[in-house]
Amino acid sequence: MSAAPVESPELTLADEAVTAMNVPWNVVVWDDPVNLMSYVVYVFRAHFGYPDAKARTLMLEVHHNGRSIVFTGSLEEAETHVSALHGYGLWATYEKAGEN
Amino acid sequence: MAHGFKRTRKGIVGRFEAPEVRLLQKLFSDVGETLEPEPRADQDPLETLVGWDEDVPEPTDPALRRLLPAASSDPQEAAEFRRLTDRSLRERKTAALRASSLALESEPVVLTAEQAQDFARSLNDVRLVLASRLRIDSTQDAERVAGLTDFGKADSVEEYMGVVYNFVSWLQESLMTALLKTLPSR
Repeated sequence: MSAAPVESPELTLADEAVTAMNVPWNVVVWDDPVNLMSYVVYVFRAHFGYPDAKARTLMLEVHHNGRSIVFTGSLEEAETHVSALHGYGLWATYEKAGEN
Repeated sequence: MAHGFKRTRKGIVGRFEAPEVRLLQKLFSDVGETLEPEPRADQDPLETLVGWDEDVPEPTDPALRRLLPAASSDPQEAAEFRRLTDRSLRERKTAALRASSLALESEPVVLTAEQAQDFARSLNDVRLVLASRLRIDSTQDAERVAGLTDFGKADSVEEYMGVVYNFVSWLQESLMTALLKTLPSR
């Protein structure tokens, strides 16, 4: 048996973590010569629920510009989406909005 | 030659010849093996049990680096993200590969939309690995490989791999056509 600590351990959050809550984050999908256009459109529609026209616009942006911002939101949301997109085999990263 | 996938009232149906089934199952299991976490001698058995990863290095194999890419251009952010997600990402991919391999045991192959999505992920992961081995890094590289479509004319391992790549690409395209029809139209 063991005893729990008498006092609650102190959790100190870095100041930047608190302010970072308000800064939007972008999810970026990068172009590669392998992923099929139809597959990328499918992922944007099935995962984000985007309408066909929006999914196609984003896919073409990736294809022609080399990258496209496919989502903007909190850091937590951005991380979740990046992880899901990696599950689909898309090359995705997250970055602070306005960084690039 | 395979017939590809089609959307029917029963689900998404694919018909395959026996050698095609064997080829696809071999590819799925090869990619699955590539995704096995590298055993590390210094890891605490308890850490392994609870899935705690102290530090997960970026894979050295370029194919694996494409399957498990860096999530940020900031190396520290990328390392922390990898530490938290590497294991579950490998497991998710391996589970889809196994399910897809099993689905191929039926003749014809009949998939629900969810199973078809797993199948699409698996075909995509196979293509990412083959593309890495074939050094397809640009559109020009892709065009160089695109001409290889005849198994009978492939006279090197690389050419054979190119034909396999094109076969899997064609199959995935037929699956995407069927799968896109399952989404609500708007």
